[in-house]
Amino acid sequence: MHRAQRRLLIPAAVAASIALAFTGCSTSNFGGGDGGDGASEEGPIKIGAVLDITGVGANLGVPEQNTLNMLSEQLNEDGGINGREVELIIKDNQSTEDGAAKATTELIENEQVDLIIGASRTGPSLAMRPLVEAAQLPTISIAANAAIVDGSEWVFKTAQNDVVVLERILDDAESKGYTKVALARDATGFGEGIAEIITELGAERGITLTATEAFEPSATDFTAQMTNLRAADADFVIIWGITPSAGLAQAAYVQIGVGKPVYQSHGVANAAFFEAAGDAAEGVIAPMGRLLVADQLPADDPQKEVIDQFIADYTEAFGSAPSSFAGHAYDAWKIGVAAIEEAGTDPEDLRDAIEATSDFVGISGIFTMTPENHSGLTADALILAIAEGGRWNLYSE
Amino acid sequence: MTDFLQLTAAGLSQGSVYALLAVGLIATYTVRHVVNIAQGDYAMLAGLGSISLVSAGLPLPVAILIALISVTLASVLIERLVIARVKNLTTLVSIILTLGVSTLLQAIMLLVWGAEGRRLPAFPGEDLLIGGVSIRSQELWMLGALVVVGGGVLLFYEKTRWGKALRASAEQPVAARIVGISPAVASVIAFAIAGFVGAVAGVVSSPIYLSIWSGGLLLGLKGFVAAVLGGLVSFRAAIVGALLLGVLESYVAGYVASGWKDAVAFFILIIVLIIRPAGLVLRPNAVRV
Amino acid sequence: MTLLQKSPGAVRSKTGFWPNNRATIIGVSILTLVVLVLPFTATSTMMNIAVFSMIFALPAIGLSLLMGLAGQVSLGQAAFFAIGAYTHAILLQKFEMPGIVAAVGGVVAAMLAALLVGLPMLRLRGHYLALATLGLGFIVMIAVREWEFTGRTTGIYGFGRPEVFGIPINNNGLFFWYVAPFVIIGLVLALNLTRSRAGRALSSVNDSELAAESLGVNTYALRVKVFTLSAGFAGLGGVFYAYQVQIVSPQMAEFHVSVELLLMVVIGGLGSVWGAIAGAFIVELLSEGLRDLIPAIIPGATGEVQLIGYGLVLILVILLLPGGLYQAVRTVWAAIRRRTADRRAVAAARVPDGTADGGTGEAPTRAFGGLPGEEPPAPQSAAVDEEGVPNVPAVSTPLAVGEPILEVRGLTKRYGGVVAVDDVSFTVPAGRIMGLIGPNGAGKTTCFNMITGAITPTSGTVAFLGEEVQGRKPHVGAVRGLTRTFQNLQAFTSTDVVGNVYMGRYRKGRAGIIRGMLGLQGREQYRNEEIARDILDTMRLGDVADLAAGDLPFGRQRMMEVCRALASEPALLLLDEPMAGLSGKERDMLATLLRALRDAGLTIVLVEHDVAQVMALADTVAVLDDGVLIAHGDPESVRNDPAVIVAYLGTDAEEAKHELEELEEHA
Repeated sequence: MHRAQRRLLIPAAVAASIALAFTGCSTSNFGGGDGGDGASEEGPIKIGAVLDITGVGANLGVPEQNTLNMLSEQLNEDGGINGREVELIIKDNQSTEDGAAKATTELIENEQVDLIIGASRTGPSLAMRPLVEAAQLPTISIAANAAIVDGSEWVFKTAQNDVVVLERILDDAESKGYTKVALARDATGFGEGIAEIITELGAERGITLTATEAFEPSATDFTAQMTNLRAADADFVIIWGITPSAGLAQAAYVQIGVGKPVYQSHGVANAAFFEAAGDAAEGVIAPMGRLLVADQLPADDPQKEVIDQFIADYTEAFGSAPSSFAGHAYDAWKIGVAAIEEAGTDPEDLRDAIEATSDFVGISGIFTMTPENHSGLTADALILAIAEGGRWNLYSE
Repeated sequence: MTDFLQLTAAGLSQGSVYALLAVGLIATYTVRHVVNIAQGDYAMLAGLGSISLVSAGLPLPVAILIALISVTLASVLIERLVIARVKNLTTLVSIILTLGVSTLLQAIMLLVWGAEGRRLPAFPGEDLLIGGVSIRSQELWMLGALVVVGGGVLLFYEKTRWGKALRASAEQPVAARIVGISPAVASVIAFAIAGFVGAVAGVVSSPIYLSIWSGGLLLGLKGFVAAVLGGLVSFRAAIVGALLLGVLESYVAGYVASGWKDAVAFFILIIVLIIRPAGLVLRPNAVRV
Repeated sequence: MTLLQKSPGAVRSKTGFWPNNRATIIGVSILTLVVLVLPFTATSTMMNIAVFSMIFALPAIGLSLLMGLAGQVSLGQAAFFAIGAYTHAILLQKFEMPGIVAAVGGVVAAMLAALLVGLPMLRLRGHYLALATLGLGFIVMIAVREWEFTGRTTGIYGFGRPEVFGIPINNNGLFFWYVAPFVIIGLVLALNLTRSRAGRALSSVNDSELAAESLGVNTYALRVKVFTLSAGFAGLGGVFYAYQVQIVSPQMAEFHVSVELLLMVVIGGLGSVWGAIAGAFIVELLSEGLRDLIPAIIPGATGEVQLIGYGLVLILVILLLPGGLYQAVRTVWAAIRRRTADRRAVAAARVPDGTADGGTGEAPTRAFGGLPGEEPPAPQSAAVDEEGVPNVPAVSTPLAVGEPILEVRGLTKRYGGVVAVDDVSFTVPAGRIMGLIGPNGAGKTTCFNMITGAITPTSGTVAFLGEEVQGRKPHVGAVRGLTRTFQNLQAFTSTDVVGNVYMGRYRKGRAGIIRGMLGLQGREQYRNEEIARDILDTMRLGDVADLAAGDLPFGRQRMMEVCRALASEPALLLLDEPMAGLSGKERDMLATLLRALRDAGLTIVLVEHDVAQVMALADTVAVLDDGVLIAHGDPESVRNDPAVIVAYLGTDAEEAKHELEELEEHA
């Protein structure tokens, strides 16, 4: 009998000790469903961010992370939002869709954030969209594809739309009398739908798409795609991707000796493009925000002051100039913070406040959001830049 | 036609990298019956190492030489510290074990060199344009490395007394001992060869395909597929298989869809294993020593 | 397969639906308790880890069954994980099916995929299978990434979380409770399987594939089934993963997921089902912890830094603790038990009334036995001191005495240019003993192996009970009653003596994998164990029935193998040099036994080196020389056949005569 009792005690003791090992102070494991509005009238305001800090999108995510850290420090030094401290919680999605979904779920259920910024690229942003919509949480993506915000009630974005970017490219091509274009695009969300948009926009300008190739952002060998582009015998080529892959594709394109002019997207608006492409970058034209050519802007440019200040702050903090992606994060943060100052953290009020953003002068352009337009930028937000001597210069058409 | 030749040329140069890795894999498999998953990581390690040395100011040939020697030693070290420690090492255990080695090497490369892919400066030479087909001088270096290094290993194993004894040591330790090679020494030599060959593959391919911490696994696996085409014993069949694999991948990327390129090797692997596990050699017995 | 931790195996326990193994009951109770309490006490980080460990425990259990039972390693478990998740997501999202249908669909799809690829791939040798499954993982990853229907790189998203009785499972606490019952049930089913008829058969295959097949185990079919089952576990894990993360994307099938799963199983202990769950938790903890720890140690470290831990742990576990956690726990547990046993022994000495008589009904079964320091008492000295064999185990007698039971026609085996067996033909009549003799290298064993199916003949036929069995696997003949023993011992060393003989009953059993998992075969297993014990008693091995098979002396292991063969109630028993290594007394006893078996109707063919024994024992004798059958007839005529004398006994006629005389004396 004694032995039997002891036998029962052992498992009980083991269980108790295992349970104790897990013990923390939190009992929030059942509390995620009701969102972050109720209990968060006091304590810090929580802003979550989901970024591509590692993996193929690291060229985008790291400067974005830097920017958000810098801005949240600045904000808290200045007393936070209406006297409340702001807590920034950054999650790395490792440049994957399911990483983004996991991070978003954690931000919603465990951290109960009031606003989410991210993700860096289209694919992870798309993966986040249904989650934040179900949780009814305002979210500002910093990726490009229009599908991220199309018809969404809760998701906004600060990167220029792919449609306006392509409009700038095709306008320029039309002015030069080109009629045939070949496309090599990113195989992930960022590149999806690009061929269709080119076909549609090109029809108005007498430009036809003769070949479409795709490449993975992780790819290092582009010979096959570039061989096919060469065979397409187009007047010009669009390479649509992010660095480093778009830069490597550029290098392969030049090596294989096609010799037709290349336009790239705003996905290469950073210095990393030149590292990946090397000399092959020379002469590439790409639409992008004004950040990288800030020193060449006319003094009366409405964005100049904001941009110069950001460059100065960022360079002081991190020792290098910011990329356009840092600018997208800047805009998302500033728009979000302004809306919280205005409306507090109630999700619906906050969303309405973001939708009311008007003539906000940011890094990537001047934003005017509406309930129908969650992107807020027009074609004016873009300039054309040309790669010359290892940097981007303002391109005069 | 130009495109076809262009794709073929690109495939051959990619295939030469697979071939070198296949040679390394066979070198260890014939002697030790180890399938070394870390074979491709040797290549990345050598590539990244030589890039660092070059950026530290060393001339390219010196940097490459140091990288080759270091990776060869690293391979020997891995053999001594890990592989040799397991008694009754079956091939299956060797796969799990070298998977651990590979993961560890990758993590070390990630910590030391970061996540970005880097490239070594191209070796000296002029790019060629023959009938519209662009051939980079680096691609000729890659094929040259295969001929010299891969061929050298092949001749060593098949023609020299030592090489033959090495191959025999897996099946007939006694015969190997007669020539004066203990199984332990044979194993060390085999891993040194594998390390060296992998490192060569890494440095010659770095200017085109880049060196990146995570790149070795897939590369090594494709080398393995080529080795399987040679029944894991025949260097010649594996080299031919590797070149074919590279060309086939290139055609798939060019004519089907570039995304499917990496699947080619594994379709081949599964089909070959099911239909002809002894490899593509006509008489599997004939190539065994 | 030396790689694998031996599966547990006492036949002793009668398995019911609820596992009656005490350790299992305690373990499952603890696990249930932890599951109930955890959501109330854990921090949110810990809860997150716990949820993902539960999800990954499912594919890990599957992989551990595959590695432990089938002796196969899959480096593509993530492929089935992803197939389950994608199918689930597609059914939910694109076909708007109810959750339960979609979940079942996911599991079924994973199993179907496994069946499809398993059928050809499981014929490969172990390391080839590992690499082929690795390839499969890449193919699945690329396929879902390139296919429009599976959402390409972004994958499929936008399906909600499940609801149970109208309660949405929308937080980690509830989700944990939602997954945990499936893990616990999966665990119990898997544990049952390892103890079942099929599980024991596979465990025997890992000891000696040839011996197991010769007892009727269809290794290939069982492996395909376990592979499929393993994929089912992976698919279920995928279903839960999809629910938890709410997106399925190509990264799910990536190689590093397969490596994580492998790591879970290796850490937990190869082939240990419990280990898989512990391993899942440890790997998740390790991953989370290292991602915080390493950047703290090495500034600027970003990315998948947890890999450094994976690599190190994988290497260290294989080098230092090949049995994983399971082995470690068992060693510690054994030490504790030894200490308490010592203490109890002291107490017993002090209290003479015997209330402290530990061990009543608690004698360690081999199921949890075999621990270092838990060695059972040494066997009593060999008990073969009586003449004769009182009882003879049952045999099957499908034919009347004298009718042809085995017909060999034109049997030939060539290796390259060498002819090992050349056009051998003979007939074995039922109820007789036939001896097959010949000098070393005459081709006896080759001949034997062709008859039993271990080797495929170059040409010729072998008909057993009228059915051609040549070139087919040994189990084909075995299930019809053709059983053999081996010249080199082929004991199942992972189990005890009675476990070996129990395996002889394999062809008499019926229970398959499903019955085994549900634990619905206790009666059959119990009865067969009784029969096995009876046979051991009959053969005077009853006293060592519960010892580890490998611990027996050579001669008794040989007798055990004969018992094992007899347990299958064969119609034809082939013995490969049964007398080798036996003492004189043991030989006599075996000879007596064989005669008794023959008299009971069993047909016996024996290959033997000991010519005198064969001449004395056999009804007919066939003589092979250099692969050719040079004589076949009753012992008397063979003995006087000049060809035999010269060919078998030596080329020198004088020497031959001398040998012959000696032989006569013996007879």
